[in-house]
Order: sequence, then structure tokens, then C-alpha cells
Amino acid sequence: MRVKNFRPIASTLTRAIWRWSTLCACLIGLAQLTLSYYHVHQEFEAEVRAIGSSNVPLLSVSIWDIEPAAVQRQIEVIAEKQQIGFVCLTVSTGQIFKAGDAALSLGKTASWFEVPAPERTIGSIGKLEIYENPRAFYREMIYNVLTALIGYGILTLLICTLVVYFLKRELEHPLRHIAQFVSALTPDRLTTPLKLERPAGHQRDEIDLVVEGFQVLQDGVSGYISHLDELVVQRTQELEIALESIQSLSTIDFLTGCFNRRLFNERIAQELDRAERYQRPISLIFCDIDHFKLINDTYGHLVGDQVLQGIAKGFERNLRAEVDWVARYGGEEFVIVLPETGLAEAITTAERLRQAIEGDQLLEGNETFRVTASFGVAQHRLGETAQVLIQEADTLLYKAKQGGRNRVCPAP
Amino acid sequence: MIRLLVVIAGLWLALPVMAMSVVFINPGKSDEVYWLTAARAMEQAAKSLEIKLEIQFSERQHPRVLDIARQIIARPAGERPDYVVFSNDYATGPELLRLFDAAGIKSFMAFSGISEPAVRVTTGRPREHYKRWLGSLEPHAEDAGYLTAKKLIETGRKFGVRSSDGKLHLLAIGGDRSTPASVRRSAGMRKAVAEAPDVVLDQEIFAAWNREKAAEQSEWLFQRYPGSRLVWAGNDLMAFGAMQSWEKRGGKPGGDAWFSAVNTSVEALDAVKSGRLAALAGGHFIAGAWSLVMLYDYHHGRDFAAEEGLEMDQSMFVLFTPSLADRFLERYGDMRFERVDFRRFSKVLNPKLKRYDFSFGQLLR
Repeated sequence: MRVKNFRPIASTLTRAIWRWSTLCACLIGLAQLTLSYYHVHQEFEAEVRAIGSSNVPLLSVSIWDIEPAAVQRQIEVIAEKQQIGFVCLTVSTGQIFKAGDAALSLGKTASWFEVPAPERTIGSIGKLEIYENPRAFYREMIYNVLTALIGYGILTLLICTLVVYFLKRELEHPLRHIAQFVSALTPDRLTTPLKLERPAGHQRDEIDLVVEGFQVLQDGVSGYISHLDELVVQRTQELEIALESIQSLSTIDFLTGCFNRRLFNERIAQELDRAERYQRPISLIFCDIDHFKLINDTYGHLVGDQVLQGIAKGFERNLRAEVDWVARYGGEEFVIVLPETGLAEAITTAERLRQAIEGDQLLEGNETFRVTASFGVAQHRLGETAQVLIQEADTLLYKAKQGGRNRVCPAP
Repeated sequence: MIRLLVVIAGLWLALPVMAMSVVFINPGKSDEVYWLTAARAMEQAAKSLEIKLEIQFSERQHPRVLDIARQIIARPAGERPDYVVFSNDYATGPELLRLFDAAGIKSFMAFSGISEPAVRVTTGRPREHYKRWLGSLEPHAEDAGYLTAKKLIETGRKFGVRSSDGKLHLLAIGGDRSTPASVRRSAGMRKAVAEAPDVVLDQEIFAAWNREKAAEQSEWLFQRYPGSRLVWAGNDLMAFGAMQSWEKRGGKPGGDAWFSAVNTSVEALDAVKSGRLAALAGGHFIAGAWSLVMLYDYHHGRDFAAEEGLEMDQSMFVLFTPSLADRFLERYGDMRFERVDFRRFSKVLNPKLKRYDFSFGQLLR
């Protein structure tokens, strides 16, 4: 995964550890230097003391026996020790023996030892002065500090390496895996569980908490989404019902329960198409209630409405269900469409309808009255539009009205 | 005439072939007065007694002593000597005894014998472990130390050079700590000091028989013990070294400080005569010549074992007075011993002689 402005956690941690450890190393080095200074100083003094006092007895014998060559050799052996810079032996009888670098004695204080006579008959027979070698002193100090720093450096390097290793194993790999998983998460794969390969026998940790958190989040989101689906279905149903009622409202005449004129216009075209396509007969009856305005004026609109409803019910009773259909065309006008029906049959049907209307005794208050209707019947001819067919039926209705109402006027 | 000379020369050359043969392994240097004197005296004794003598100097390097011994053993049977005379200097004696005994060569120790008890365990006594080890003859080294110290103390008393504590203070310069002759000379000196309640031995140091070292060391000593006026030395060279540094300090040996020495070098004898040396003992170089006399008698059937013993520690030293010194120089100056006829000391050649007289004094009478 290469991303701009990206730096792995391990790298950040390592850099931080290096920075701090370098600072610490400097501080430790400084402390070590100070400690070393005192320690090495004391050690040096002790060693010089030890060298001096261990050589005094032999020097004492050599001086006592007057063996200048042996004395000189001994002095040289002392001076050869790396801690020693310069050695000077002054014998009480005036002889002076020197070994080492005399320059190292300038301005320095010596560790000095009295050389007693072996038999202690007389006091001191010489004075041994030993000057430390500052070069050896600093070498020793540098050695001490370097050893400490190198050890510390190696330890830090080791710790960094381990931190990087364990970070990669315990954090970086799982986190990258999680990042990849999340970036590849799409709605359709929302329920795919996040699975991490963790080392065997590892304890549940923060990474596992994150993974579990993801599962909770995924469950929550997918639960919420599925709930939304249910809600949509429910709402859609409600909407469909509403839509249906709206549709029925727009096609049915609310008073009579017949189709309205808008639906008639749509449907008649389809019926005619089908009839032409299958070369089937189809007929149309135009009906108008006689003197309906008078009924309204005489008995009120409520009765007028009841008359309309009664006639519509009468149509329903006397027509073929599922085949024939009725539309309220205007105020008191109805159109009856008779598919699969020739003119003669249509005339018969119209007559039956007329008789059915005429036969009904309507009651209003204390008086009864009779309603009649006039009918124009026309059969559809090939290539004839709905408009023309309706026109024709309407014309025939007009003729029936002219002819004295309550009659059927068929097409010639 | 010439023919006659050739015959005589031939006879003279043939003689030693029949005579007894001796090799002396000289531990000293070929230019060292004492050991050269010893060699010359032995040569004269050999000449007197018609002994074929061969002298090998080891030049004071003790590994060389053993080289010489191996070289003698490696010789063909006819060329091997009848006797080997050597000294137990630097403790080479036990090894030499072992080598020669194994090779079937008779040996005799002169000058230094076996004295250390630890060494004695391995060597035993003569003719015990090593059957061919005939015996040993040593000059009684203690005498040298004792005689010179005693004389030195007497001189000190005479001049009254007492320190602030009213005593005579003495400094001693020994040879080394290990050579028996050195140890015994010091012992003699200490004996003399012990006998003198008015004398204090300030310190004894060891200058390795060396003049320069003695000079250097005595410088320290004189500084360390400003009250000391008597200086005893284990040999002449060390005494001269000490005298030299005393003179360097502005002193006068024999005038404000007194010195004693051992050995009969011309310089030492002259110093006795001039008074620079207060005491000098010597003459023990003669031990080698006496050894030849004894071996001569042994070779001719007169074993010294019964009358003298196997390991002889005999007084040989002479304390030189200026007149004795004069006489020595006169008789044996330049290490010439032609005047001494060693035949007169042989028991074989002088049947009346019952005991050997080992002192050097008889040669100065």
C-alpha cells in the first residue's frame, strides 16, 4: 500500500526511540564520563599505590645491597607499566634513578613512597616518586565511556529492531488489513465479516476490540438498511393503494359507479382497435334520460342523483358482466359499449334496457313517478373512428328524442 | 749433533706419553691473575713431577665447564687423561663428578669442594657413589677472611680511628652470596669481628669480585656510613675499587682509611709494601699444585686417603707483611715458579715425609 504523506507507525516509533535514546546516550555518556573520571582516578591512584608499595621492599633490598643496575632495572620495570608516566628514585646517599618520560612529571604531583632500610637499623634510605601517565588515564576513561556507549547503542538498536518487528506483527499488519478491508467495503459486501490472521495463542487486545467494534458497526448498519427495505415495501404498498384509489377516482364516476368520460375516451379507442384487429363486431348505445331537467327541478337534485344511480344499477343488472361496460358521458347521458355484439343484438339489448328503465316505479314522498330514456344504437364500421361512431349514435339518439322519446332508434 | 738433539727431543716428547696425564678445568679467565697464578704453579708442579698437564679455561662461564667436560669424555680412549682436576665453582661440581665417573675417568676437586648438605645428598662422599671421585682439597677459606679482618682491626686500633660511639666501624665487600669460598671468607671476617667487642660491622655488600662494581657500591657505602674507616674486601680487585672511590672522595687509603684484601696480585703486594693495603692474605692458589702432588703419589701407589683423609680443608693462606710481599714478588713475581721443585713435597719421592704441609708460607721461607 503506497500512499503519499504516509509514514508507518513502526518508522515513527523507531525515529522517536532513536532520537530519545541518542539524547539519553549523551546524558548517560556525560554521567559515565563524570563517574568514570572519579572511578578511574581512584583506580589509578590505587594502582599506582599498589605498584609503588609492592616494589618498595625489593627496591629497599637493592638499594641496601647497593645494586644500582638492579635498582635501575626495577625503576624501568615500574615505568613500563602503562599507568606510570615517570618514576624517580632519590637515594638518601644522593644517587638519583629515573625512568619514563620526565616531561610527564612537570607540574604534576607524585605519589611518593619512603624506602626503608631492610633491617630498619636506619630510617629511610630513599624516596620513590611515581607520576601517573595522563595518556593512559584518558585512554582508560575513553575506553570506559566507549564501552558503555557501544553497549547502550547495541541495546537501543536491538530494542528498536524488536519494536519494529513486534509493531509490524502486532499492529501494522492488522491495521493495514483493517484499512484495506474498510476501503474495499461496499454496501453489497457490508455483511462480510472482518477476519484478521493473528498469531496463534495471542490474547485478546485492542485490535480485537476494533474488529469487534467493526462487527457491531456492520451489524448496526446492515440492520438499519434491512429495516429501511421493509419500510419501503410498506410505503410502496400504501402508495399503490392510494394510487389505485386515485386511479379509480379518475376513471369512475363517483355518483353512479360507471366509468367516466375520460376513461371512456381511452378505452373505446382500445376496444375499437381490438375489434378491428380481430374483425369482431362491436356496437355502441347512446342513452339519454328523458326530461331529466324536469325531474331535477321537480323533485330536487338529490332525487335526480337517485334516478341516475338507479338507472346505472339497472344497466348493471341487464348487461353482460365483464364484457359490456357503461360510462357516464354527460349529465344524464350514458354510453354503453357492447363488444362482440352486432347491431341487431345491440338493438335488442337497448330495448331491454329501455324496458327495464320504464318498468321501474320510483317513489318520492307520497307520489310515484316513472322515468324513461331514449336510445341511439350504432354498430362500428371498419375504419370508423370512435368520434364518428359516437357522433352516429348521438345522432340516432337525437332521432329517438325527436321520435317522441322512450324509444330506441337504431341505425338504418 | 743435530741428530742427537732430535733424538733427545723425541725422547722428551715420548716421555709424557708414558707419564700420568691430568686435565685441569680452570674456572677462571685466562687473564685473571689469581687463576693464572694457580695455573702457573700447577704447570711447575707438573713439570717437576713429569706429569702431562693440560689446562682448559672456562673463562668464568659455567656452561663452558660442562662443555669442556663433555669434550674430554668424547676423546678416544688413548687420549683421555688419567685424572681430571676441577673446582666446584658455580656449583658445577656434582654434574662434573657424574659425567667423569660415568666415563671412567678419575676426578679430584681442588680449590672448592662439596660443602652444601643438600648437594652432599646427591654426591655422597668421595669413592662412595662415585668410585672414581678420589677426593678434594680446599684452602681453608675462612682463614683468608679471618686473618685479614684481624689485621685490619689491629691497624684500626693502632691508629685509633674510632667513631663517635667509641667503636671501630667496618664495612665489608664480599664476592657473592653463593660461592662457598666467598661465604667462608666472609664467615672468617665475621668471626674476627665477633672476637673484637670494639668493632661494629656496619654492612656487608657483594660486588661480584668486580673492581668497578666495588668502586660504585663503596661510594654509596661511604655516604651511608660516614663514620666507617675500615674496609674489608673478599679479594684484591674489590679492595682496589673501594680504595679508588675513597681516593675520589679525597681520602687516602692507609692514611685516613684502611683496607684489606685477598690474593697475590702484583698490585696487591705492591699496595702492602706501600702501606695502602693494611692487610693482604693469599697463596691459596697453590691448592692446584698440591693436588697434583697428591695425585702423583696416588698414581704411584701412595693413596692420601689413610693419612690425610678424602676431603681436605687445609690452611694455605699467608698474611703478607711488606717483607713477605717483597719476597713473594722477588721469587714469584710475574707468576714464575721455576724455583720451586715440587718433588720435595711428594711422599713417594720422599719416603720420610709422613704428612703434607699445605701452607704457602713454606714457599716464602
